[in-house]
Amino acid sequence: MAKVLIVDDSSTVRDEVAGFLRKNGLDVDTAVDGKDGLAKLKASPGIRLVVSDVNMPNMDGLTMAEKIRGELANASVNIIMLTTESSPAMKERGKAAGVKGWIVKPFKGDAVLETFRKLAG
Amino acid sequence: MISQQAKDSIERIFQHSARTRLPVNDGDACEITALDAQQANTAPGSHIVVLTISSIAFRFLLVLHFDDDKATRDYYLRDAEDRSLAEALMEVGNLCCGGINQRMVEFFPDLGMSTPYQLSGACVPYLTELKPGYLAAFRVNIGANVQLGATLCMCASSPVDFVAYVSENEESTGELELF
Repeated sequence: MAKVLIVDDSSTVRDEVAGFLRKNGLDVDTAVDGKDGLAKLKASPGIRLVVSDVNMPNMDGLTMAEKIRGELANASVNIIMLTTESSPAMKERGKAAGVKGWIVKPFKGDAVLETFRKLAG
Repeated sequence: MISQQAKDSIERIFQHSARTRLPVNDGDACEITALDAQQANTAPGSHIVVLTISSIAFRFLLVLHFDDDKATRDYYLRDAEDRSLAEALMEVGNLCCGGINQRMVEFFPDLGMSTPYQLSGACVPYLTELKPGYLAAFRVNIGANVQLGATLCMCASSPVDFVAYVSENEESTGELELF
């Protein structure tokens, strides 16, 4: 089964998003920051969709996205940012890093479930 | 250095963000009362969560005060007993500050937000040491039993002047913007 990786330093968000996606039949793993996200992605080639926060300790989500495309040379995984940030400059940085989409928190699962299914498939 | 209309705008933006982001359930009452300067240090809460919005022109702090009491735990943790109240309030504060950031970025495109961090409520009186150009405190009652506090603090290094209004129907979150 295609896997989704949720990357967020908040356990509240990890539980909420992962719980919703699992309840809707998706296989989900979680990571606590960008560094952890990179490690999980390296270890699980089946991950097809990464949903990540931007502001996190150790490694932020945009740096993680840049490293996924650069260091890991993974051009195929879909990356969505789920964040309170909404500045045009950050979105531009995300686009340049190959981020596929941007969601401003709070997370509304029903609004994105079908797109997540397609991106994870 | 921070104009009165900018201060009024910040307060409007905060009040809107607090009403839409602090209650767990849509429809829960959220009553916000401004405290005067003498009351500012009496905003409820022995713990605080702090978030920063930074730009070239200013640094803005949102300080969310809370008590680790039964009413607050029941409201914000519900069945998630393995999670700390501070962790839950950090995410709630993150959402509230994110709402402020989302509105202010329309006027200041260089904004960046910090991750939330927790401090003792005893730190609040020391905010004046930052010599803020704007300092305001509020009592926030949610539902029948939950009482939070909020302090807004802005330190400006350049003139800050803008006018923002908020609409009660204005909420563009949760939607996926595909690139």
